[in-house]
Amino acid sequence: MLAPSIIGFAVFLIAPIIVVVALSFYDWNLLSDPEFIGLENYRDLAGDDRALKSIGNTFYYVLLNIPAQTVLALALALALNAKIKARNAFRVIYVLPWMAMPVALGVIWRWVFDPAYGALNRFLDLFGVDGAAWLTDSAWAMPVIASVNVWQYTGYTMLFFLAGLQAIPAQLYEAADVDGASPAHRFFTITLPLLRPAMLFVLITSVIGSFQVFDTIHVMTAGGPAGSTATLNYQIYLESFTQRNAGYASMLAVILFAIIALITLAQVSFFRKRTTYDFS
Amino acid sequence: MNKTRTAALAALALALPLTAAACGGDDGGAVTLRYAFWDDNQRPALEAMIAAFNEDHPDIEVELEQNPWDDYWPGLDSQFAAENAPDVFWNHVSRFPTYADNGVLLPLTDHIEEDGIDPSVYPENLYASWQYEDDQYGLPKDWDSIGLVYRLDALEAAGIDPATVNDLEWNPVDGGTYVEFLQKLTVDANGNNALSPDFDPENVTQYGTAMASSTGQTDWWNYAVQNGCSLQTEAWGDYAIDAPECVEAIQFTADLYNRWHVAVPAESTNQPNGGVPGDYVVPGQAATTLDGSWMLSFYRDGLEPGSWAVADNPSGPAGSGTVINGLSNAVYAGTEHPDEAWELVSFLGSEEAQSIATGMGSVWPGVASLNQGFADYWAGEGIDVTGFQTAAEGTTIGYPLSMNDAAFGTAALDEFNQVWLGQKDAQAAAEAVVEIANAE
Repeated sequence: MLAPSIIGFAVFLIAPIIVVVALSFYDWNLLSDPEFIGLENYRDLAGDDRALKSIGNTFYYVLLNIPAQTVLALALALALNAKIKARNAFRVIYVLPWMAMPVALGVIWRWVFDPAYGALNRFLDLFGVDGAAWLTDSAWAMPVIASVNVWQYTGYTMLFFLAGLQAIPAQLYEAADVDGASPAHRFFTITLPLLRPAMLFVLITSVIGSFQVFDTIHVMTAGGPAGSTATLNYQIYLESFTQRNAGYASMLAVILFAIIALITLAQVSFFRKRTTYDFS
Repeated sequence: MNKTRTAALAALALALPLTAAACGGDDGGAVTLRYAFWDDNQRPALEAMIAAFNEDHPDIEVELEQNPWDDYWPGLDSQFAAENAPDVFWNHVSRFPTYADNGVLLPLTDHIEEDGIDPSVYPENLYASWQYEDDQYGLPKDWDSIGLVYRLDALEAAGIDPATVNDLEWNPVDGGTYVEFLQKLTVDANGNNALSPDFDPENVTQYGTAMASSTGQTDWWNYAVQNGCSLQTEAWGDYAIDAPECVEAIQFTADLYNRWHVAVPAESTNQPNGGVPGDYVVPGQAATTLDGSWMLSFYRDGLEPGSWAVADNPSGPAGSGTVINGLSNAVYAGTEHPDEAWELVSFLGSEEAQSIATGMGSVWPGVASLNQGFADYWAGEGIDVTGFQTAAEGTTIGYPLSMNDAAFGTAALDEFNQVWLGQKDAQAAAEAVVEIANAE
């Protein structure tokens, strides 16, 4: 019974990982046979300013993306967990961006952010504000991309918090009410600790997703201007498919894998401690 | 082939769309050929040529696979890696050296000799550009050059006589008559043009020109050639765009954006994500552009007949000129149907096939005797396209040939995008590009 999923796992996950790790020790231009060069790709990384900058860009993007997305998603989940009118409609609306194609959305956002003809600057113009050249100004490009992705994934993240909130037993809040706890006190001693499993899941998946951001960048800036939005994942694409350095790109992929693995391990160990309340 | 490659191919094959499964149909001995190209403007001409091909070859089915330029090459490269490339595909001189050198192209020399193809029907240099180490790797599909495309209504509104457009001159000091021409055509929201002291560069409703190119072919290369810059020391040689005449032309291109304010801002046009020049000319955001002959049908389909025209390129200090280029149809070395693929390439290179394309005004033909037919088609549309032929003379050079095209192309786009934005000095950018492009 397990065979189909194991085969899928091996063919689509394990085999490509092994191939990428192996290729990272080769020089390969995609067109002729790969040539074994040992650790040369790894040694070259030290002198590759572009790749090193892309690692920095990746962390910058994750820092812009994750805190904003997580806090917003939690706030939305709390709001939509309360008994408000039409809350199911709101839940659907917030999840819609996640259901749409990232590439199509990227194209539309690019139009919105176009400095001369875009909707955003036209709108700002009504108030006499001169909008920036959002996507070609190296100070703005990354925050703009991060905000588009926050917009896109907040609703999806919210779903997990909603599920987590609904799993918290109502009697805890009733008991807190009886004891006269303030809303803030209830949030920090009941809600947040008991959301720990949901938080762990959300952070691990969204941090991994952020480290692997690609489509929004490809469509909106293609890594520009001057490489300021080239994340490590985008650099892998550029090296592999525009420069035909598949071996070098594989090395970068191994580095990305190592970074993600370390950060995920750190998160798991941080969240290992669980809060439970015993009712018996 | 060694084990690593096999394993890599297995992985890559999984990552690719299952194209093989989609087209391997075996209906009664019929053969299906995959034919890949990038310019969707030319699809109608390709379909018409394939229909003519099928009259003599009903047993060969041709499936078109189109991807836009920026996606075409990564796609083709990964299909080579997976040994599942299209049987026949458009080739470009910028990629040709690397492909020929790595053995992914089928040499056609023997076929050409056996079939008695006469190479003299093609211009000699066009045919020779597909030779590598004594073998011929393609038959010329077309040639192209750059001309000045403009809107007649914009010139009329600015009071410019279209007869003067063929004689524009520029220089890096005061811009010359070309910049003055563009200034008259650059109009702000209050109706002031860029020559007026009241001109507001922040609120322009129509720019004089639009420039956008992912290679340089339709923007700064023109000014480079017109300023005596030849891009490379020689064909196959080092890139030499840090020479003074090149840097001056790059600076002039930047000046059109930032000093004269006559070009649609680089914030909108920088590639690969910005629009192409035609995207600004057709809706009237730009009055003119220097564009490729392959884009003619784009303007025909987007603009009213009689509302636009083509003129000679402006002249720079070294004369008038541009970069000319041509495409070929190539055969994949790993094709399962080399004979049928040759039949198709041979037909597409024939006068019969190319007269279909010129009769539709698609592209300038590889077969020299058909040039007149192409010009005639456009004359019938009210467009004088001889400017492209004039552009092929003068100080014109061929497309740069190098094994380092990928490194050069990426570095140039990256660096010069910053120059167009006014964020980097032309000299520093040119030096950075040369350092990267000549490194390997």
